Amino acid sequence: MGPVELLHMSVFSQSFSPCGRFLAAGNNYGEIAVFSLSAALSPDASQASQKPILNFTAHDGPVFSLLSTDTHLLSAGNGEISAWSWAELIKKSTKAAWTRKPSYETSLEIPEINAMIINPKDNSLIVGGGDNNIHIMDMETGIFKSVLKGHTDYIHCLCFKEREEEILSGGEDGAVRIWGHTEILLSHFQTCSGMASQECARPQFGKWISCLATDSDWMLCGGGPSLSLWHLRSMSPTSVFPLPGCQREAVFYQDLIMSVGEGPHVSHCLHGGTVKAQIPCTPSSLNTLALNLKNTEHRVMTVGGSSHQIDVFTNFSYRAFSLSF
Amino acid sequence: MSSDAVKKRKPKVIRNEAGTPETKRGRAEGEQDVLVYNEEVELEGRDPQQDYMLYKDTCAALAKLMAEIQELKSGGAKVGSVEMEERRRQCSVHFITLKKLNRLAHMRLKKGRDQTHEAKQRVDVLHLQLQNLLYEVMHLQKEISKCLEFKSQHEEIELVSEEEFFQEAPAEISRPHVTRDDHHQLTLARLDWELEQRKRLAEQYKMSLARKEKIHKAIEQKREYLSSLQPGLQNIMQASLPVQECLSMPFEQMQKQAEVARHLPPPLYVLLVQAAAYGQACGKTHIFTLNKTLSASISGDVDEAKALSRPPEDSQDDESDSDAEEEQQNTKRRRASVGVQLDDKRKEMLRRHPLSLCVDLKCKDGSVLHLFFYYLMNLNILTVKTKVSTTTDLSGAVSAGELLNSESLLNCLYASDHGQETPNPTNRYQFDKVGITTFADYVSDLGHPYVWVQKLGGLQFSSDGAQVALSASHMERTMKLLQGRLQARLALHKQFSSLEHSIIPISGECQHLFPAKVVSGLTRWTMMSYQEFTELGFVQHVLKAGLLRETDLFFMAVVERGTARLLAAVVVNPRYPEVMPLFSLSLHWKGERSGRTEDNLRAMESEVNMFRAELQGPRPGLQLLTNQIQRLCVCLDVYLETESQVCDGSEGPKEFPREKMCLRTARGPSRLKPFKYNHPQGFFSHR
Repeated sequence: MGPVELLHMSVFSQSFSPCGRFLAAGNNYGEIAVFSLSAALSPDASQASQKPILNFTAHDGPVFSLLSTDTHLLSAGNGEISAWSWAELIKKSTKAAWTRKPSYETSLEIPEINAMIINPKDNSLIVGGGDNNIHIMDMETGIFKSVLKGHTDYIHCLCFKEREEEILSGGEDGAVRIWGHTEILLSHFQTCSGMASQECARPQFGKWISCLATDSDWMLCGGGPSLSLWHLRSMSPTSVFPLPGCQREAVFYQDLIMSVGEGPHVSHCLHGGTVKAQIPCTPSSLNTLALNLKNTEHRVMTVGGSSHQIDVFTNFSYRAFSLSF
Repeated sequence: MSSDAVKKRKPKVIRNEAGTPETKRGRAEGEQDVLVYNEEVELEGRDPQQDYMLYKDTCAALAKLMAEIQELKSGGAKVGSVEMEERRRQCSVHFITLKKLNRLAHMRLKKGRDQTHEAKQRVDVLHLQLQNLLYEVMHLQKEISKCLEFKSQHEEIELVSEEEFFQEAPAEISRPHVTRDDHHQLTLARLDWELEQRKRLAEQYKMSLARKEKIHKAIEQKREYLSSLQPGLQNIMQASLPVQECLSMPFEQMQKQAEVARHLPPPLYVLLVQAAAYGQACGKTHIFTLNKTLSASISGDVDEAKALSRPPEDSQDDESDSDAEEEQQNTKRRRASVGVQLDDKRKEMLRRHPLSLCVDLKCKDGSVLHLFFYYLMNLNILTVKTKVSTTTDLSGAVSAGELLNSESLLNCLYASDHGQETPNPTNRYQFDKVGITTFADYVSDLGHPYVWVQKLGGLQFSSDGAQVALSASHMERTMKLLQGRLQARLALHKQFSSLEHSIIPISGECQHLFPAKVVSGLTRWTMMSYQEFTELGFVQHVLKAGLLRETDLFFMAVVERGTARLLAAVVVNPRYPEVMPLFSLSLHWKGERSGRTEDNLRAMESEVNMFRAELQGPRPGLQLLTNQIQRLCVCLDVYLETESQVCDGSEGPKEFPREKMCLRTARGPSRLKPFKYNHPQGFFSHR
């Protein structure tokens, strides 16, 4: 990696290991780097411990999505999903456990996979990407069992409502679709077309939805429109957050909402609609935010974006240090 | 006389004897046989012992008489009484006896003394004789020993040994019948023989001398003859010069060069040899053409160089004389100030060797890179100055001013070889002594001390990394790099002149990289200084990443389409095209965006900065910059045409209608535009 390559690197995805001691990050060159959090957070950490313990090329195209199961790390490249065993990765072996491709209709351009989530109840993997469809794969068998069609433009983000087993998807077309099934292979959907509502819309940016998050009855969505908190049952926005850029990822954390997007800062917002704080960070715009909640020792928040550096926040109010590719 | 003495004695004897009753003499003066009273004869007859007894008796009698007189006088007798007179007469008689005895004693004494004296005299005479004899004996002994020790001169002559002598000498001289017995004769004979031999040899010597003289004369004659030939040969050489040129075998020139090359300092000599060898081996197309790719020649003052290598004794003599003169002058002249002295020391330290090497490197298109190599004697480093001469006239490109500047032309030929500091670590100490802080101040005068120049001259200074480079192993690589550098700079020069006229020169081989229709156009191409560049806001990320150096060249390109204006700040490394130029973008269209604020502009930057294999074009890669600029124009087209939103909220016709064929206008979480052009299908896709 020469300095020019590092200059043009973007981090698109992150995922913590099941034990919470390692962080995997994917960049636009198709590489995945594994960092040791325990080394980086230890008192005698040095410059070298902020470098990855393992850095390998996983895919041809950018790695837009990373997901960790209990044993594996799933990465999405150009139209393919690869699984890597965490145990193997920690031992620095870079052999993929398996690689699967959902079936695509077009062959001219391979669509990317932008989002992956896991349905723990029936152990299935739900992916959404550039071909405007949501594919569902059974984790045990590896067969793509169903395709959810409905979006008119590519899918940016997915999230899963555990209680009702419903999938929410947001896409470039500006729609948030809720996919639920009472029966296994049948899919009902309810569209949530409130994006035209004046409160959140920002026509100067566009109408795409690039981030979704749910917390039982509440849903966060944002992108071209401002980040807004919706009450799902009434399908109406309760608060709109006055954040200047387009948000790319938002999460619920305790009683805060944390979101990242355009602009070199992490925004802390309250449910009421106020922006509590904007914490500055090194990349000039952020793509991904991850919270390490599995491990109490290494409870950190990491953000990555248009830079080869990943900022680590030990106390969520300020940037502690940066890991770099 | 003796008779007078006897006569005188006689009266005396007579008078003295008058008092004694025993003497009676007949007084007869003039009588010869008078009876002489010789008291001395009497003396011999008397016995000293008796005389002594007599003396004692007389003294006793006298004492007794005196006592009697005394008695008488004390008895009251009158003075002149008969007894007293009697006694007085007796006393007087005793007195006379005493007197005689005294006399006799004296005479005995005298006699004794005379006898002693006589004996002594006799002894003395004998003693003297003895001494004389002894002395003579000693003298004779000395003479004898001297004679015995005498070394005759003849012993110093080395004589032939006896056997040889008897063998060689003729019989008259050796006379064996005599000499075998008589050593003296033998020695004489040998001496004779020696003398004869020496005479003979002297004769021979004289003859040899005469011969030698004759031969000397003959040699002289022949020498004169040879020297008369020399001008004739010179004429022939001169006449052959045109022939040499015609046949292009410049023997004379090469000889002269070799002659001068002997006075070159070692590093320059190594460089010359290697350069000439390389030029011979690789440069020529045909052995009879003079048109070499690489040619080396020596220029400078040969006499001065000879003066430098003159042996020190001569210069010392000169110095001692000149010192004496200078001392006289110095008393009149004021001593130079400290500053001037320091200046002189500095000049001395930075002195160049009077000879320098000129290497000409020709490129295929006819332009020539002239390299002048100098050797700094006290610092033991080589420096180089450059000059470019081209076949076509290069003008019109304002921004290209720096490209062929001789100061910076050879910067960073090898990475980080700036040529501003001396590569020899010992120079640091020398500089400290004369107060030179950096060598960079003198670089424009003395030339650049690049590391590759030192290596070509075989000078190796221990520096970072293990280097086993020698002149030979570096020559080829360096020459290739130099050629490449010159070609690249000339190509850039040409490209810049057309860029300044807003034409992006794309060669036929690179047309496939771009779509047929490119609407955005380059409107401005200017050069910037390092200062101006670092003040731009949108290049700070490059500065922070450490990809800028003062030795780089900086340019500003402006690409426009309609109301949109794209500013591109370009950093060109001196080692272009080995190192890709780096673009940083800032778009002025409905606001200002840069690569930092907008992901799509960042994607455009990476599209232009990163794909070297595609963009460099055919082999030497000299099309790199122009291809990059053209790609930038294409990307701007795509960006503007796919930007569907109208930012100020109003609806209306789009300023830039979609003309490019794209499959998808956005992809991925950051919604990047398709900047990759696919040939020959002609559509744009995402990377």
